[in-house]
Amino acid sequence: MSDRRLPRLLQSPAVVLLLVWMLIPLGMTLYFSFIRYVLNNLRRPEWTTPSLSNWRGLGNYEFVWGNKDFLLAIQNSLLIVCSILFLTVILGILIAVLINKAFAGRGIVRVLLISPFFVMPAVNAVLWINMILDPVLGLQGLAVAGINELIDGLRTMPLLGGFFNLWPELTPISFRATQTSAYAVIIMVTWQWTPFAVLIFMTSLQSEDQQQKEAAILDGAGAWNQFRFLTLPHLARPIAIVVMIQAIFHLSLYAEIEIVSRGNGNKNLPYLIGEFANNNIGAASATGIYAVILANIVAIFLLRMIGKTLME
Amino acid sequence: MGRIQLENVTKSFGETQVIPPLNLTIEDGEFAVFVGPSGCGKSTLLRLIAGLEDTTSGNISIDGEDMTQVSPSKRGLAMVFQTYALYPHMTVRKNIAFPMRMAGLSDAEQEKRIMAAAESLNLVDYLDRKPAQLSGGQRQRVAIGRAIVRDPKAFLFDEPLSNLDAALRVGMRIEITEMHARMGTTMIYVTHDQVEAMTMADKIVVLQAGVIEQVGSPLDLYRNPRNLFVAGFIGSPKMNLIEGSEATKHNATTIGIRPEHIDVVPDSGTWSGKVGVAEHLGSDTFFHVHETGLTETLTVRAVGDVALKHGDTIHLSPRLEELHRFDAQGMRLS
Repeated sequence: MSDRRLPRLLQSPAVVLLLVWMLIPLGMTLYFSFIRYVLNNLRRPEWTTPSLSNWRGLGNYEFVWGNKDFLLAIQNSLLIVCSILFLTVILGILIAVLINKAFAGRGIVRVLLISPFFVMPAVNAVLWINMILDPVLGLQGLAVAGINELIDGLRTMPLLGGFFNLWPELTPISFRATQTSAYAVIIMVTWQWTPFAVLIFMTSLQSEDQQQKEAAILDGAGAWNQFRFLTLPHLARPIAIVVMIQAIFHLSLYAEIEIVSRGNGNKNLPYLIGEFANNNIGAASATGIYAVILANIVAIFLLRMIGKTLME
Repeated sequence: MGRIQLENVTKSFGETQVIPPLNLTIEDGEFAVFVGPSGCGKSTLLRLIAGLEDTTSGNISIDGEDMTQVSPSKRGLAMVFQTYALYPHMTVRKNIAFPMRMAGLSDAEQEKRIMAAAESLNLVDYLDRKPAQLSGGQRQRVAIGRAIVRDPKAFLFDEPLSNLDAALRVGMRIEITEMHARMGTTMIYVTHDQVEAMTMADKIVVLQAGVIEQVGSPLDLYRNPRNLFVAGFIGSPKMNLIEGSEATKHNATTIGIRPEHIDVVPDSGTWSGKVGVAEHLGSDTFFHVHETGLTETLTVRAVGDVALKHGDTIHLSPRLEELHRFDAQGMRLS
């Protein structure tokens, strides 16, 4: 037995560190989610220190469930995560296939494609919401104003003027509004994370077997069928990796939501946790546990779906 | 039908010409083997015929129809690759069905042809497995099955057996030869192994640096090699090539004599030397003879087991009627 004891002993610091690292926060979150624990309460000062005597059972969970923002936050979390995943995977595959062919300046194009990934999330959000999506000063506002001006000019044309008179005047979209702020988040995060998908798919495409492609060419498969029956199944595993990593990252989006709308009509679960944590630690912890459950459901569901559709 | 004709075909990659103008006709139903050392352009030639590479100039026609600019899938040829090139995520059934699916055949017809191919290739029990679950020989058979169901004008094999172990290779060699006898379809087979070429071919095309050195039946090449390269390449073990005074005696720059055409005699042979390595195979014995004064090592084949061992003196007598004579350019002298 002694020959196995030494390796275990040597492994133990790392194992213990990881366990402590994971279990203590999780344990504390669970503990706080079952007690009354607030940062400031003048009437009930005993609630401001965590203690088992403040046991609340599932009360925090019921409180969070009943909160008017909770279902909206779950819905928003799912909308944002799924939209980003869908867009980055599709765009990632298209761009990766496009730049997999040899062309002049491919090296530079690749570096440029990767660069959005190096922008900090907060900077990314500030740039997009102020410089690109702003309805007045951003590119969007300028573009819409320009198009309106152009159509206005066409209305005075002798013959076709009547036709252009039927066209409506375009109004720029305010991406800070309740209805649209989630889309702004989706756009900016997709822009930032598509390079990640491209990078993973590109490396995978380079390992694709060329003889299989030649065999498929001889078998009469055109470009689309080669893509559908060879490239796409070949990419199934990298797609699963991209989806899983991104799902983990985007379920915890915070900076973009804070900067775009301060959670106005656009909360996701992390943002809701942040709001609760201003005072009600118990409710924040309960929301955190809900988030853990949601993340697991999403991960299992997405992986199953990809496995079924691509691996045949 | 499947008569393949190459007229003045050349191929260059950038500045380097890998195949200088080349003419070749492969008759319908023929089993043609392209053989040569690695890098001799035999695979490139096959890929040109398949359409996977474009010719730089010249014409390729199949059954009299010019196919030079026709896309690979429309040439009616099926190819079996060295790495099998099976589609890894599809079952054997789907792999075999793939070309028919691309051609839009009905499900019933597909199933009929899959079963016919699977039965003739002993794959019936493996139809629902994935390629990764098959052995090398089974994968090879799936690749052949995928070629058969297309009912092609000709089969192209690109070193199909080189990834198999020795025992399987002999088995598959016989299977492919039998398949050819049964189907009677034109086959073009690329290999660097002259034993495969000799045992399988109706017609061997010996290539070196993109140039056809000789075309002929296996025994024709064995008996009448046109030049030194073919003489040295065809036959196993290799022909002994002797230069110098012994060659001058026969009015040639180089003379060649195959190991099996040298007899071991008890004493007073034409040549004599010291036995180096003796390979006793039971049926044959191969002697590597040194200090003959002719060439560094002379290989001799004796039928049966001859009791000579390392260091013994051996007396040899070549059969003069089997002697090959070559001139200074390496061409055969009649």
